[in-house]
Amino acid sequence: MKAISVDNLTRDYGTFRAVDHISFDVEPGEFFGFLGPNGAGKTTTIRMLTGLSEPTEGTALIMGYDIARDTYHAKEHFGVVPEVSNIYEDLSAWNNLMFAGELYGLSYTKRTARAREILDIFDLAEFRDKKVHGFSKGMRRKLTLGMALIHEPDILFLDEPTSGLDVESSLLLKEILSRMNREGTTIFLTTHTLEEANTLCNRIAIIVKGRIAAVDAPENLKKTIQTTQSVEVSLDSMTPRVTEDLAAIKTVTSSRHEGNKLRLFTPYPGDVATAVFAYAGEHHLKILSINTVGPSLEDAFLSIVQKQRNHRTGEMP
Amino acid sequence: MIPRPPTARIWRELKSAWAITKKDARIYYLRPGIIMFGVLFPLFLFLSFAIGRNLSADVLVPGLMAISVFFAASSIGPMAVPTERKTKTYERMVTAPVSPLSILFGEIAGGAIFGAIIATIPLVIGIAIYGTRIANPVGLIGALILISFAFSAMGIMFAAIPTDNPGDVMMILNFIRLPLLFVSGIFIPVSAMGVYGVVALASPLTYAKDIIQYALTGAGYYGPFIDTLGMVLFSGIFLWIGVYLHERNRRAG
Repeated sequence: MKAISVDNLTRDYGTFRAVDHISFDVEPGEFFGFLGPNGAGKTTTIRMLTGLSEPTEGTALIMGYDIARDTYHAKEHFGVVPEVSNIYEDLSAWNNLMFAGELYGLSYTKRTARAREILDIFDLAEFRDKKVHGFSKGMRRKLTLGMALIHEPDILFLDEPTSGLDVESSLLLKEILSRMNREGTTIFLTTHTLEEANTLCNRIAIIVKGRIAAVDAPENLKKTIQTTQSVEVSLDSMTPRVTEDLAAIKTVTSSRHEGNKLRLFTPYPGDVATAVFAYAGEHHLKILSINTVGPSLEDAFLSIVQKQRNHRTGEMP
Repeated sequence: MIPRPPTARIWRELKSAWAITKKDARIYYLRPGIIMFGVLFPLFLFLSFAIGRNLSADVLVPGLMAISVFFAASSIGPMAVPTERKTKTYERMVTAPVSPLSILFGEIAGGAIFGAIIATIPLVIGIAIYGTRIANPVGLIGALILISFAFSAMGIMFAAIPTDNPGDVMMILNFIRLPLLFVSGIFIPVSAMGVYGVVALASPLTYAKDIIQYALTGAGYYGPFIDTLGMVLFSGIFLWIGVYLHERNRRAG
């Protein structure tokens, strides 16, 4: 049985089709990323999968239960962490967890034991009786995740879980998610952070303008644009003139600034690297760093999104 | 998975609804907006009409109790639901394995308990100052449960207005509550309204005031049967419309 099975899921808002006949499966224990540009249909999809709205067409099965028809059983199997930390500001961390436990029908003994465990895991034990309105963003996020985990769900839906978090909190959260996934929880993650998807996810679906453009492992997605190799170079002087000269090297198809580095895209990275060395010697410039770089998930994502957009624009009357 | 018997499911739904009720009590009962629109506003409105009119305690206490339940019970839903839409905590309940009906029952019970508690204040004052006696204590308890449920369901029905600002709902609710107040025989007895008394039949507050009066004094205008029937009917209508509108909002996503 699939953890999540989506078949021809469609959602219309009036005449606007937000999600257009999407189909994909998520295996039990998988860490599945759901990526797409703003307005692509990610949130609409996650809302349908979690029973917050109903599909216009198609079905979504959660652990074999149809979310639209057998809502009650489907909902028993998942927890949700939305983009906004939806916790009760006027309640303490403990009472928030107790409320979540009661909603999921946990006995008093079970929910108090789980709440203690969660407060320990998330390092919130000393704040258990404090009202949430004094909590930092990171603490709120951890509590939201804790509330979604109170009933030990098979599947966890996460919508931009690390959005707005500082580096330390973000790393901690990702570490916890990885651990949970290793312990068997299926995770469905929507994120804008491609690095996050790259490091966490087993497979990724890319949605563009309501349609699935690709579903594959991050490494396989990168392979689809294997021709997009590049040389990343940093010189002690990166004036506009230098940038212009480097971008004009033969076989460089395009260039992009990335911080104090210049990335030169080419099918022949070796030739370009040689040309960069020659240029630096000729102009008495010091090379601070030079690397040949394969396509990143970001490159793959941009390429897939662009192709899909072009494809759909071509369809327009 | 072993299928659970239906009674287990019902029991679990009731426990979830009770959790929602407790949550509402903890968060909303002492909110300034609730104290203002649910308690102080009706109290001062009533006093401004009652003072100087030499009304007997038999008229004053039931009227004040009815107004207290009416405003208090119908204020919790319109405060809680839009606030929780704004903070997305309402979505937390919708994504949990709890039926839409149980969520609304939990919210309604939150308002109903608040309304019943507030209604005891004028009763205690009536007993302490005017020596009010309760002719039918069991009937009064039953009436308070029924009335507070009906008015809380009315509040939940208005809370279906798709906004995340409680003020928007309160404004529309008051636009309805105030006219109902004036036609319900609280300030002018239905018997003195002449042909216009027929309008009173369209207000749930008419039956609420009458049944409380009956329970306290042993005498009412319509009698307990019609009053109970009226309150049950209005409860059913408010609940049905409320469930329909909230479910429609959810489907619309």
